Amino acid sequence: MGATGANRGQPAIMDAKTRWGRFRRSEAASGLLLISPTALYALLMLAVPLAAILLYSVLTDGYLTVEWTPTLANYAEAWGDPLYRQVMLRSLFVSATVTLVTVLLAYPVAYYVSFHVSPSRKSLWLFLITIPFWTSYLIRVFLWKVILGFNGVVNSSLMTLGIIDEPLTFILYNVNAVVITLAHAYAPFAILPIFVALEKIDRSLLEASQDLGESRLLTFWRVTLPLSMPGVVAAVLIVFIPTIGDYVTPQLVGGPEGRMISNAIQLQYLRLDNYPLGSALAVSAMAIVTAVSLVFLFLNRRFLRVRQQ
Amino acid sequence: MRSKGTGFRAYTIAYLIFLYAPIVLLPIFAFNNSTIIAFPLAGFTTNWFRELATIPALHHAVWNSLVIAVSTSILSTCLGVFAARASTRYDFPGKGPIIGFIMLPLVLPEIIVAVSLLVVLLGIGIELSAWTVILGHVLICTPFSIAILNSAFQSLDKSLEEAAIDLGETRWSTFRLITFPLIMPGIISSLLISFTISLDEFIIAFFLTGTQPTLPVYIWSQLRFPTKLPSIMALGTILVALSITLLIIAEYFRRRGIARSGGQDAGGFL
Amino acid sequence: MKPIIQIRDVHKYYGDYHALRGINVDIGEGEFFSLLGPSGCGKTTLLRTIAGFEDLSQGTIHIDGRLMEGVPPNKRPTNMVFQSYAIFPHLTVAENVGFGLRRDPRTPAQKAAAVEEALEMVGLKGYGGRAAHALSGGQRQRVALARALILKPRVLLLDEPLSALDKKLREQMQSELRRLQRQVGITFILVTHDQEEALIMSDRIAVMFEGQIAQLAPPQELYRRPVTRQVAEFIGVMNFLPASVATVNGARIDVEVAGLGTVELAAEQCPGGARSGKGSVGFRPETLTILFEGETPRGRVAEGTVEEVTYYGDMTYYGVVPDGVDVPLTISMRNLVGRRVLERGERTRVAWDPAALVLFC
Ligand SMILES: Nc1ncnc2c1ncn2[C@@H]1O[C@H](COP(=O)(O)OP(=O)(O)OP(=O)(O)O)[C@@H](O)[C@H]1O
Ligand SMILES: [Mg+2]
Repeated sequence: MGATGANRGQPAIMDAKTRWGRFRRSEAASGLLLISPTALYALLMLAVPLAAILLYSVLTDGYLTVEWTPTLANYAEAWGDPLYRQVMLRSLFVSATVTLVTVLLAYPVAYYVSFHVSPSRKSLWLFLITIPFWTSYLIRVFLWKVILGFNGVVNSSLMTLGIIDEPLTFILYNVNAVVITLAHAYAPFAILPIFVALEKIDRSLLEASQDLGESRLLTFWRVTLPLSMPGVVAAVLIVFIPTIGDYVTPQLVGGPEGRMISNAIQLQYLRLDNYPLGSALAVSAMAIVTAVSLVFLFLNRRFLRVRQQ
Repeated sequence: MRSKGTGFRAYTIAYLIFLYAPIVLLPIFAFNNSTIIAFPLAGFTTNWFRELATIPALHHAVWNSLVIAVSTSILSTCLGVFAARASTRYDFPGKGPIIGFIMLPLVLPEIIVAVSLLVVLLGIGIELSAWTVILGHVLICTPFSIAILNSAFQSLDKSLEEAAIDLGETRWSTFRLITFPLIMPGIISSLLISFTISLDEFIIAFFLTGTQPTLPVYIWSQLRFPTKLPSIMALGTILVALSITLLIIAEYFRRRGIARSGGQDAGGFL
Repeated sequence: MKPIIQIRDVHKYYGDYHALRGINVDIGEGEFFSLLGPSGCGKTTLLRTIAGFEDLSQGTIHIDGRLMEGVPPNKRPTNMVFQSYAIFPHLTVAENVGFGLRRDPRTPAQKAAAVEEALEMVGLKGYGGRAAHALSGGQRQRVALARALILKPRVLLLDEPLSALDKKLREQMQSELRRLQRQVGITFILVTHDQEEALIMSDRIAVMFEGQIAQLAPPQELYRRPVTRQVAEFIGVMNFLPASVATVNGARIDVEVAGLGTVELAAEQCPGGARSGKGSVGFRPETLTILFEGETPRGRVAEGTVEEVTYYGDMTYYGVVPDGVDVPLTISMRNLVGRRVLERGERTRVAWDPAALVLFC
């Protein structure tokens, strides 16, 4: 009797064992195991810190310390103070302008490389386009200061040529300078996604459209442009999101009236030691970026669906 | 067709000139014999390069940056290998969100990464040092490593690994004998790209470096002093030349990897 | 026949998808065995479960009397030739062929000799030093074969090894594979979706549809006595006519065939089993003969109209509609000297033999 009972128990144990063994050897388990170091790193170094600034943003700032009293005062200040509101709006405006300029200027370049360059030379062109992006960002931004400065390259050249008598002052230490510099810095970011989207377009579609009687311009308008929209949308987001948080450019070429949100955040953290307010500003900036991006994605959902077909 | 192509071509070349304009100025002023960065030029000199050799603070910063960049490139490439392997070979629950989250630093403003890490590191009482910069740099370099290694793993035919196992090798020896040699070009270009990014990164280093500045942080501190600018130009010239060299090497290895596994060239680094 | 592989009640699920639905088969020692079926029917899946690359959801596989549950691919007495050949691109031909000998206790010189011998066997003598990525398709295939055979596996698994080759090379490799298999005496399991290839090469063929084996038989039996219409349609060309089974009494079956009248079939002409009721009969194009002027029939005769003429040079294929039905029957005729090709619309007589019919109920 006892023996049969034991025997009856055996298959259940075996079953559990092999099921565990199967899971361990299964694709899901191997995949999870393999990704876990990287995922864990992102969890510790990204998720936890993001949670931490979320927490800090609702704490009270004390002198040299942070008090554990929950409050919304930081957000009230970040959103209520006209100074911060102005900085925030300016950041949005600058980012939006930079994005618009960059993507509009980038589209023809991507179009040229995708449609008019022979396949074997495409990667050379892309390489040429990406090289400037990899060279010292700090020095590139600083060079714009040199170019646009009071006695910089533009002014000294124009004066030598006798086109102007006085140096132009509207090109440095203001929003214009920030827009020019950022548009330059983020150019490859805009070109690459548009290029990839254009590459994916089946060329016979364009021939079909012309075969059906559309002119080349209308073919572009009715076929090429809509099909490349996923790339344009990606380009917009890839330019918009980081530019709003750029620190170096406004600091170097923006002057007092070109300051953006990251300069304010840096000020709170490193100068004024007000972590809670700095965190509230950072969280607000992220929230705005996310909200704008989501609205943008929503408005373009029609184009993105095409890609999934 | 032809005329339209040339119009686009002219525009694209103008655009490239716009892209390269600032970089072209760099060597011009680096060799210009004047303390003022402006036209007209005042003659040729190599003084500014020689001056670089006499600044100990600069040498410390360079050394710091090199240590950080080398550590970052190795760590992020290792993490990249794990993640790229998992994402190209395996299906597992939550794959999309997990990988999306790991790639998030690509679209996150760097200042957010910097301040949030700062808050946590100070919060748990870790002193700022080269190591804290490395932590931040690994975070932002890993997505780039993953992107590069993904394409290396994708162009690797799965049946090559199965064949090795079928011929009696274990999983580990298969990785050593087959997978690793075949993705080697990808690994090298991942190392080079991470190295370049880390060497150049400013904001995270600015926030997380302690008393020992990295090279970009050092440059930043010098930009305030007009007399230091020509030597910064010289330094910039060296850096740009260095990055372009590294990039060309990285591109060479990436292409060789694709050629070797017989695949198609799928584009650039991003 | 001594079985080397015993597959019992094997099921495989990919998530909800039921890829293998109860496979039962014994594969004999030294047999050339083919898995034949349309795309997606589970041939590769079955092969990979034998090799150990896929876990079973249910059932068992024994190889050489050993249960394979939990035995990884590198510990199984099987080797595989992959569809893409999987030649390691960073190694030379000799390094590829000698890859599996790394753990072999023999001296390097002995191993080199074994590699050279294996290369010679597949007709690549002297190619050892070549870079593997610079080989042609046929050469890759040979390297893959040598690389697997050098380990002297009990079973060699081949997943559509010829599908990437052009027609001429494919035919050449078919006979070479067959010769090689006889020479080494190893069991070969070949996956293919090409019915002709399976018929030419195999000792036995398992025809698979949707994760199940529909029929398992030697080539001749498979061609002459398919058990279902599906199998019959997949292997070669078959004509079908509606039929009704009048009586089944032991070895004799009386069938009423549309357009042909009553016939009496032997039990073996109904390999799928017989019962009374509606069904169909099938017959191959070459079992029908068009009677030209003055020819006397062997067997029975039906009259009909030529509807379709397709001229192939050595053969002509006719579509003839027999009186009383509206389905054209395909008839293949050799173009002998002095035999004319009929025109469309001509009346003709067709000779047929009841012994060639197969009944599907
Ligand atoms: N890893 C997998 N995950 C999910 N489904 C799979 C997987 N592998 C195969 N399948 C499915 O199982 C079925 C059988 O696949 P299998 O590769 O065995 O077909 P096959 O008979 O070899 O076809 P072909 O002639 O096209 O190679 C297919 O429908 C396929 O989609
Ligand atoms: Mg298959």
